[in-house]
Amino acid sequence: MKNFTARQGVLAFVVLALVFLPLLSSDTFVLRVVTEAVMWVGLAIAFDVIAGYTGYLNFGHGAFFGLGAYTVGILMMKAELPFAVALPAGGAVAALAALIAGFPTLRLKGAYFAIATWALSRAIQQLALNMDITGGPDGMRLDAFLNPQFFYYLMLGAVGGTFLVLWYLLERAPFGLKLKAIREDEEGAKALGLNPTMLKMQSFILSAIPTGILGGIYAYWITFIDPSSTLGDLVSDQAVVMVVFGGMGTLFGPAIGALLIFAFKTVFWAYLSKFQLLYLIILGALIAVSVVFMPNGLWGTMLKRRNTVRREPEAP
Amino acid sequence: MHEPFLKVDAVTKCFGGLTAVNNVSFQVQKGEIVGLLGPNGAGKTTLFNVISGYYAPTHGSITFSGRDISGMPPYKLAALGIGRTFQVVKPFAGLTVLENVLIAAFLRYPKRADAERHAWNILDKTGLTDRANVTAAGLTLAGRKRLEIGKALALEPTFLLLDEVVAGLNPTEADKTVELIMQLKNEGMTILIVEHIMRVIMNISDRLVVLNFGEKIAEGTPAEVSRNPLVIEAYLGEAAA
Amino acid sequence: MELLPQALVDGILLGGIYITIAIAFSLTYGVMHVIDFAVGEWIMFGAFTGFYLNKWTGLDPFIFLPVIFVMYFVIGYLVQPIIHRVLSGTKGNPFLMGLVFTFGLAIMFRGLALTVFGYYSNSIPSMFSEGSFNFDNYGISITIPYVRLVGLVYALSITAILHYMLKKTNFGLGVRALAQHKDAAGLMGVNSKRTGSYVYGIYVGISAMTGVLLGCILSIGAQMGNEYTIFAFFVVVLAGMGYLAGVPWAALLLGMVQSIFMIYFNPSHTLLAVFVILYIILLVSPRGLFGKGV
Repeated sequence: MKNFTARQGVLAFVVLALVFLPLLSSDTFVLRVVTEAVMWVGLAIAFDVIAGYTGYLNFGHGAFFGLGAYTVGILMMKAELPFAVALPAGGAVAALAALIAGFPTLRLKGAYFAIATWALSRAIQQLALNMDITGGPDGMRLDAFLNPQFFYYLMLGAVGGTFLVLWYLLERAPFGLKLKAIREDEEGAKALGLNPTMLKMQSFILSAIPTGILGGIYAYWITFIDPSSTLGDLVSDQAVVMVVFGGMGTLFGPAIGALLIFAFKTVFWAYLSKFQLLYLIILGALIAVSVVFMPNGLWGTMLKRRNTVRREPEAP
Repeated sequence: MHEPFLKVDAVTKCFGGLTAVNNVSFQVQKGEIVGLLGPNGAGKTTLFNVISGYYAPTHGSITFSGRDISGMPPYKLAALGIGRTFQVVKPFAGLTVLENVLIAAFLRYPKRADAERHAWNILDKTGLTDRANVTAAGLTLAGRKRLEIGKALALEPTFLLLDEVVAGLNPTEADKTVELIMQLKNEGMTILIVEHIMRVIMNISDRLVVLNFGEKIAEGTPAEVSRNPLVIEAYLGEAAA
Repeated sequence: MELLPQALVDGILLGGIYITIAIAFSLTYGVMHVIDFAVGEWIMFGAFTGFYLNKWTGLDPFIFLPVIFVMYFVIGYLVQPIIHRVLSGTKGNPFLMGLVFTFGLAIMFRGLALTVFGYYSNSIPSMFSEGSFNFDNYGISITIPYVRLVGLVYALSITAILHYMLKKTNFGLGVRALAQHKDAAGLMGVNSKRTGSYVYGIYVGISAMTGVLLGCILSIGAQMGNEYTIFAFFVVVLAGMGYLAGVPWAALLLGMVQSIFMIYFNPSHTLLAVFVILYIILLVSPRGLFGKGV
C-alpha cells in the first residue's frame, strides 16, 4: 500500500506543477517547450493503444497527426470555420483514415498492417505535396493567435483528457484486457467470444482520434504546417522510439519515454543544431538497442525488477 | 421427433487436395458425454475446429440447438453457448491466471465487478485459486490445461468441446480433471471430448464416435465400440485383425 | 498511342530489375518471418558504394558488382544474428520486436546516409550510359538505352541463379523447408540460425548490387530508400506474402505502372498509383494476385 500512495503523491505533484506552471514561469520559451513535451506524451500514449496494448505496429502514426493539422488548417483558412469546429473535425478525419486503412489490413497478419500503415503515411504525404488545397510543398499558414497560455492549457487539457480516457478504458474497463488478449493470442481469444477484427478496429480508431486532435492544436499553435513537418516520417519515428524505449503496453512507459526523448531532442537541437541529422541516427540506434537489450522498455524493466525483489521472499 | 442438441451432418473438410474429414455425420443429445476417438491424424482436431467455427466445412452442415451454425465465426458460437479448449493450450501467457479467466467472463458479465466474482468462482471450481495472480506462462502443464477448461467454463457454455485435457497429466492430476468433467455432466453440461487415454474416455463417455483417415468407422456405447473389428483394426493395425 | 510500345518495353526492363530485389526480400521473409523495413536502405547503400568506387577508380561500376555483393553479403551475414536474437527472445512479442528492430535500422541508415552523402541527387556513370538500341519499323519506334539491356541481362542471371540455388541445391532445400515449416525444418537438421544468416546475407548482397544498377539507370540519393522499400512491399503483397512464384509478375506489373506514369501522367503521381493498387489488392484479395500468400 505504501508504494501506491508514493506513486499517487508523485502524480499529484506533477499535475499541480503542470497546472500552475504558467504562473510560476513567465518565460515563453519554457512554456513553449513544456507545451510540446505534453503534446509528445499524448502522441506516445495514443500510439501505444494499438501498438503496445493490441500488438499491431502502426509505423505511420504521424499520418493521423498530419491529417488533423491539415484538416484544421484547411477548415479555418479555406472554409473560414472557427477553431472550435475545425478541431473536432481534425479528430474525425483521423478516425476516418484509421477506418479506411484498418478495414482491409486488420483482418490480416501484423506484418501487413505495419506495411500498410507505413505506406499510407507516405501516400498521404505525397497527396499533400501534390494538392492545391494544401499548398503543396510550400505548406500553409494559419492566422496567428498569439496566446501561449491558451495553447498550453489546451494541450494540457487534451493530453490530460486523453490520458484519463485511455487509463479508464485500458486499465479499468474490460476493453483493455480484451485488447491484451488479442495481443497475446488472437486465435485463442476468438474462442472466448472476442471478435478480434472489431476490437482491433476500435483500438485503431481510439489511437487515431487524439492524435488527430493534437495535430489540429499543433497547427493552430505553430501557425505553419507543411508536408515535411507534420506528415514527414519524423513524427512516426519519434512516436515509435518513445514508446519502445519507454515500455510498450503501459501508459506510464510511453509517457516517460516521450519526456526523456523530447528532453534529449530539445537539448540536442539547442546545442548541436549543426548535427541535426545525427539525431536521426541516434533515434534509429536507440530503437534497435532498446529492442535487443530492453524489450520491455524502461518502465517495463523497472516494474519487473521491483516485482521480483518483492516476490522473492514469498517464493517457497 | 425431438431435435438433437448437436447435429453434424455429412461434414467434409478439405485442405487443398487433402481431405481431412470426409462425410462424417453424428449427433449429440443434451446432457450426454460423447467421446471422439481415432488414431493420430484421423481428423479429430480438424472436426473440432469445424464444429467450433475455426474452419468452415467444405461440404455438409452443423446444427446446434436447431440452428445452422456452419461457418459461423468462433466468437459468435461462444455467445451461443459453445465453449472449447485447445489441444495445444492457448493461455494469454503475459497475463495473470485471473485475467485469463476474466476475459472469458466478460462475455456473460460485462461489468468488471460481476465478471471478477464469476472468475473467482471458476478458479475455485478448477482449483486455480492460489495461482490467480501468477502469469499464465508460469503455470505447469497441468495448471495450463485446467486454465483451458476454466476459460471455456467462464463462458457459461451449454456445450463443451474438450480437446485432450487429460493427456500429459500424471494420474493424480488426471483423476482430478476426470472428477471435474463428471461434476459438469451432473450439472447438465453436454460434452464432446477428444482423448487419447483409453481408460479415461471409455469410462466417462456415454457414447463414442470413432474416426479413421477422416471417416467415421464406428459409433456406439464404449462396450459396443471396443468389440468392433474395424476399430480394433484401426488401432492395432492389420496384423491383429 | 505510339508511346505505348515504348512504355511497355520500359516497364518490362524496369520490372525485371525489381524481380531480383523482391525475390531476395520475399525469401528473407519466408525464412525469418520478419519484414525488413531497411530493404530500401540496403539498395541505397549499394548504390552509393558503386558511385564512390567508380569515382575513386574511374572503372566501370558494373565491374564492381561482385565486390559489392561480397561486401554486403558479409554485412548482412553479420547483422542477421542480432535479428535472430530478437526473434528468439522470450520477453514481450518477438515478432513485433523484430519489426521494430528493422524499422529502427532503416531510420539509422537513412540518418547515416543523409549525414555522409547529403541531400544531393546523382547518377552513376557507366560505359553503357551513352548510346541506345533503336527500333523503328512498322510504325513502331522504341529506344532502349544499353544500360537497360544490361539491367535485363543482370536480372535474368540473378533470377536464374536464385532459381537454381533454391531448386537444385541442398542449401535451397533447407531454405524452402524453413520457409514452409520452421519447427519441422529444425527436426530435419536444418540449422535455422545459419541458414537465416546466409539468406539474409544473400538478400542484402543482391539488394546492394541492384542498387548500383538502379543508380546507373535512374538516380541515387540518400532518400531513395523509402521509395524502394515501398516498391518491395508492393511486389511481395501483390505476389502474396511468401509466394515466390508470384513475384516476377508483380514486379513486372510494378515496372509497367511506373513507366506508364512516367510517360503518360505526372511521374510524381506514380507512388500514389502504387498505393491505390496496393490498397485495392489488400481489400479484394489480401493473399495477393494469385491468392497464394500467407
